Amino acid sequence: MKSFKTVLLAGFACLALSGTAMAQSVTVYTAGPGSLIEKLAAGFKDESGIDVNVFQATTGKVMARLEAESSNPMADVVVSASWKTATSFAKKDMLLDYTSANAKNVPDFLKGPGYVAQGISALAIAWNPKSGTPKPEDWTDLTKPEYKDLITMPDPAQSGSAYELVAALTSQPDLGWKLFDGLAANKMIVPGANAQALNPVLQGAKAVVFGAVDYIGLAQAAKGESIEVVFPKSGTVIAPRPMMILKTSAHQDEAKKFIDYVLSDAGQALVAKTQLMPARSDVKADRPLIADLKILEVDPKTDRKAVLDHFAKTFGME
Amino acid sequence: MRLKHLTARVFGNGGMIFAAVAPVLAVLVAFPLLFVILQAVFPDIARGIFANPFSRFVETLFDKHLFHWTLNTLMLGGSVVLVSALVAVPLGVLRGLFRIPFAGLWDVVFLVPFTIPPYIAALGWIMALQPRGYLEQITGINFGGFLFSFWGVVFVMTLNVFPVVYFAVSRMVASIGGRYLEAARVAGCPPMRSFWRITLPLTTPAIAASLLLVFAMAIEEFGTPAALAARSGFLVLVTGIEQRLSDYPIDLPGASLLSVILVLIAMVAFMVQNRIVSRRDFQTVSGKPGAMRPAELGAWRIPVVVFFAVIGFLSAAMPILSVVLTASTRTISGGLAADNFSTDNFAEIFANSGGAMEALGTSLLLGLGAALITGILGTMTAYVVVRQRTVSSRILDFLTLMPNTIPGVVVAVGLILAWNQPWLPITPYNTIGILVLAYCCLLLPYPVRYANAALRQVSVSLEDAARVAGAGGIKVFFRILMPLIFPSILAAMLLVFAVAARELVATILLAPIGTKTVALFIWRQFEQGSVGMGMAMSVMAIAITMTIPVAVAIWARKQGRLF
Repeated sequence: MKSFKTVLLAGFACLALSGTAMAQSVTVYTAGPGSLIEKLAAGFKDESGIDVNVFQATTGKVMARLEAESSNPMADVVVSASWKTATSFAKKDMLLDYTSANAKNVPDFLKGPGYVAQGISALAIAWNPKSGTPKPEDWTDLTKPEYKDLITMPDPAQSGSAYELVAALTSQPDLGWKLFDGLAANKMIVPGANAQALNPVLQGAKAVVFGAVDYIGLAQAAKGESIEVVFPKSGTVIAPRPMMILKTSAHQDEAKKFIDYVLSDAGQALVAKTQLMPARSDVKADRPLIADLKILEVDPKTDRKAVLDHFAKTFGME
Repeated sequence: MRLKHLTARVFGNGGMIFAAVAPVLAVLVAFPLLFVILQAVFPDIARGIFANPFSRFVETLFDKHLFHWTLNTLMLGGSVVLVSALVAVPLGVLRGLFRIPFAGLWDVVFLVPFTIPPYIAALGWIMALQPRGYLEQITGINFGGFLFSFWGVVFVMTLNVFPVVYFAVSRMVASIGGRYLEAARVAGCPPMRSFWRITLPLTTPAIAASLLLVFAMAIEEFGTPAALAARSGFLVLVTGIEQRLSDYPIDLPGASLLSVILVLIAMVAFMVQNRIVSRRDFQTVSGKPGAMRPAELGAWRIPVVVFFAVIGFLSAAMPILSVVLTASTRTISGGLAADNFSTDNFAEIFANSGGAMEALGTSLLLGLGAALITGILGTMTAYVVVRQRTVSSRILDFLTLMPNTIPGVVVAVGLILAWNQPWLPITPYNTIGILVLAYCCLLLPYPVRYANAALRQVSVSLEDAARVAGAGGIKVFFRILMPLIFPSILAAMLLVFAVAARELVATILLAPIGTKTVALFIWRQFEQGSVGMGMAMSVMAIAITMTIPVAVAIWARKQGRLF
């Protein structure tokens, strides 16, 4: 027994030592897509010789790990899929105030003290052309009887961007909750986070996702899936993905260089390649960009819990 | 003198083992769980601040959904327990008492559900049964209405967890020995009656212990109820926990507090179980020769084999078929059309053999490590619990069940809070050691429950006899007890291996930077929209994971015993 414990302890000791031996490196905690951070890490290493240690998960899990680590923070750079994380981190004075020289062409609303967008996604309608339904043009089309029983939506309680969409649409004076009441009458289902909402539409069990994350749908279409991404003409919400350097970072120079790289021509090209909108307005992409979309604003004073409760009630999710 | 008396009481029977096990369990289980509780009470504990205790209680506990979600959790746990018992107890009893054709095969087949990650199994069922799913594409009918309902969840979850009961019951029944049944027969008792009056009551510890595990698993599982029943408005406590951790703003104190509620529910179930198994004595293995020859099934051969085959098909073949179909089609929307079939996904896995193979290797090693450690530790813990029967051993017993009742993601948060403390001289955090700790913590309940049930059968007189003959404690343990309870422990270790080799929920949060495991690899594919490639990796992972149980089954067959 004693020897067993000794072996275990010795093992941990070795592992602990090997974990600390990281010379020139920067630790990045990031939300997906995983392929983007892999490419960014590789490109950055080529250019600067600095290693990138990546922890990649969903925004919620990234934030949970950050929060649980707060007595002894490990991350240098955080990339999240929710703009609110950046504004609230800034308010809590957790961010290093740094403005990259490469952020010059990032529009003002996509940067702040200590944070700047990496790329931007928008919510859209993802429609399966093989579903035998007419192509929808706008959100309200989906309350028509043709789509009865054929709509899915990501859960706003689990997806920050879906929440923003609900908050934005329900605050439109001419819409209110009428649109969602109509969707509920059309038996729209709310099967989970973004991936769970898309899957039934791919296989054909449902015809259309209300509020699909655009770059995922575009990437699926590029892979040959029968899916079309429609940006509703009455407008939609965008989800800029903030990058930030934590004040507690022990590798601030490397972290700054990493932000510079992501905002460089090469970095932004990689962002555009994953079908996200690049943060810099002067970088081209093969998809509709912010200027092509009508963007709906969310009043920051909206009561999130009230919106989520109303939504859950409307769709019988209590 | 007095002190000696006291130490004798504390360290009495198995006291040495208690002294060895208790500190390990304190570090492995109590330390992280303490932080879950601290997090529930002190919202800012992550920053090392003990301010505003209980400040989140009102908001979390007066959530108007809470009562409803708790009821749903109880209903789901109860139903999965009930259906699992109805399916697995007969299977286990048959396997233990009779010579079943292809018995070894069924054991291996019933291990397969454990190697399939629950979210893959759920997705497999969805893609098979939903409208325009594979079944409808082949036969024109779909079972979407059933699948996306409460009973659909119970159905899928039961198929995932019933093996826990099957293995416990079959090993237990086989070890009861034929002596009692022989005595009953001689006394003129008809076989059916002796089954109801002897075999089944003596199997109670195994049934109770494994159903407790099933209950704990059912109340903490998130993926299946979320994927299948959330859309019809059936939400459980874990839904609330997951919502608090799924997007910004996250709420660690709320999630921890809801987990504490799950622990309390499990505690009640634990006490019920303890009541059942301590009501009487189950010591049946007393050293008298009683090797049981399995009985012949006679005319029942065919129906019994059909029963095993149907459950095997539903629990192992169906989800895997669906997974294989998804992995072998180019696009999901293309369906089962001839021109949509391709081996691209598998080819890509092989092309990326670096990443994929590395992940497989890591996961297999983690699985083996977790199985070994929990096997040893679990047996020792169970020994203390069964032989000592003191309050402290009872606490130890419940401690080892607790991690299984808390969602993996919350255990992971507890582990980070505990092991990332700046004052710790060394820490496994951010090394692969933290995954070993996490899996051992989460999976220790299997060997503990299994060994506990098995040990209750072994008569103390055997140990006493060995001691009188001059054998020391360690010798008694390894020469007398281990051989008798080994089949149960080996089965539990195989379950641990299968689960640890594919664990996702805790791994996502804890994985040290740069570490790849099978589950992470699959999850990243899904997350990038490459469902087909994720499924291809699942197929390979299941196939490779199964080689170990198959090897064990073949070895056991050569030894002429159950594995």
